[in-house]
Amino acid sequence: MGAMVLVTVQLAPSEATLEQAMRQLGLTEDEVDTDYGLVPLMPEQGLYAVRVEEEAGRRVSPPAGGPFTDPPIEPYGPPH
Amino acid sequence: MRVLIQLRPSPDIVAAVAAPDLTATTADVTDGLPGVALDHSYTPVALPRARPATAGGDPLSLNQPLLFSMAPEEASVLVRGEISDDESSARLALLPGRARDVIGVYADPVIETSLTCAGTPSVGTWQDVARLMRVTELQAEGYDGTGVALAVCDTGVNAAHVTRQFGRDVTVDHDRSWNPSGVSGQAGGFAVDHGTMCAFDTLIAAPRATLIDVPVLLSRRQGGTAMDGLLSDAVAAFAHLRSVLDAQPAATRALVVSNSWGSFSPLWDLPPGQPGNYSDNAAHPFNIIVGSLEQAGADILFAAGNCGLECKDRRCGFPGRPIVGANSHPQVLSVGGVDTSGERVGYSSQGPGRLSDHKPDICAYTHFSGSKAFGDDTPDSGTSAACPVAAGLVAAIRTRWPASQISPSQLRTLLHRTAEDRSDVGFDYDYGYGIADTASLLSALKRRTARQRL
Repeated sequence: MGAMVLVTVQLAPSEATLEQAMRQLGLTEDEVDTDYGLVPLMPEQGLYAVRVEEEAGRRVSPPAGGPFTDPPIEPYGPPH
Repeated sequence: MRVLIQLRPSPDIVAAVAAPDLTATTADVTDGLPGVALDHSYTPVALPRARPATAGGDPLSLNQPLLFSMAPEEASVLVRGEISDDESSARLALLPGRARDVIGVYADPVIETSLTCAGTPSVGTWQDVARLMRVTELQAEGYDGTGVALAVCDTGVNAAHVTRQFGRDVTVDHDRSWNPSGVSGQAGGFAVDHGTMCAFDTLIAAPRATLIDVPVLLSRRQGGTAMDGLLSDAVAAFAHLRSVLDAQPAATRALVVSNSWGSFSPLWDLPPGQPGNYSDNAAHPFNIIVGSLEQAGADILFAAGNCGLECKDRRCGFPGRPIVGANSHPQVLSVGGVDTSGERVGYSSQGPGRLSDHKPDICAYTHFSGSKAFGDDTPDSGTSAACPVAAGLVAAIRTRWPASQISPSQLRTLLHRTAEDRSDVGFDYDYGYGIADTASLLSALKRRTARQRL
């Protein structure tokens, strides 16, 4: 897999599965971080996140939201 | 912002200020300046007027022989005050034209010889922090963290080490803890590292809180390195914490989330203004889930970062405004650091924040001998330590005040209002609203209790 990004997708709660998100966005399994899965951001509003290859993220946005960066995060200490 | 204000009052007042046998006060010199909190403890100082020593000299040049006059008609007077950081530029520009007698306004920077920086030995111990945070009083009033879930999102917790250092048991909730995909290891059983320091520091003020271990920085997901995680792991971690919160009875919800991490470099991010950017973009998925978790009732704290102007961490890559992304989110408490003498540590990041201007929110103690997670002589340092120290105070308060009674937003406001102001004008970009002040906080809560009983 190449560089990865996050995209957001709107799903009805009853259909909130990774498979449904992939179907809705036209993504293949090779393009998606299936270990990461479908992550609820605002479940009450049906907003979810999926981690996908950068190229696929560009292709599916819109209708997906994004693509958004997935930068490294580091501990803030001890100071160097 | 602290300022020196140069005034030209009437000659008799200048003469009184200049006279060695008289002591004029600030009130003698001026009866007030708009938007300036005058420092009445400062004795006004007379300043001589400089003028060219030769006739025809440039009156605005200091690069020539000068004569200095203390004649009352020519000299001026300096007083000291403070201007709110919110409007310092406008006030600096407008005061000389608008306020009578004002001929100049100048910055009055703090001058220090021994600012605490990386490499400075510990300044006090965790017992000093406990004393400053009035932990004995907290516990006497039943604020000890009992029943409060305290999530430490970091490199994992070593509970045995924390137990050894405190000499008392700590509680880690294995069922509600969570590992990112691909991370093995048991909650509370990770190697002693940064997360263990954070866990120790949360328990100073909330010794009976229940730790939820979220080793989000241990992720080895593709794209990460040996020493960091990815923001997507934090997104997933917060989704898990939302399920933890939703499982709590609505009436007694209490979840405090401590985050001593962030993004150091803009190189991994898209530039601000691009839709996929994280640092400046409230619509980034992580910033959305932070807001969603807070709205559901969680208290979320983030370290402000270690990019303070005086001695910033060498990893700091943002050219300015280093409090970025969720660390500057309006719905989190962004925590700067002070040492146990109450002075801001030189590495504590200064505001304004990128998502929200008024950052940091408050300061808490850091750079003390505490967990010994990095060795016996290495302090718990960074805003990494200040954040969990403040999270412990929040968890202690949640013992008796669940989110159903004081929302996270209300509690942040209470912490702002009761903080020990380190300036004279409320919020500033160094200390935020000031140092978290347990005594004032307890008094405010007592007043709230009394009002509820009426």
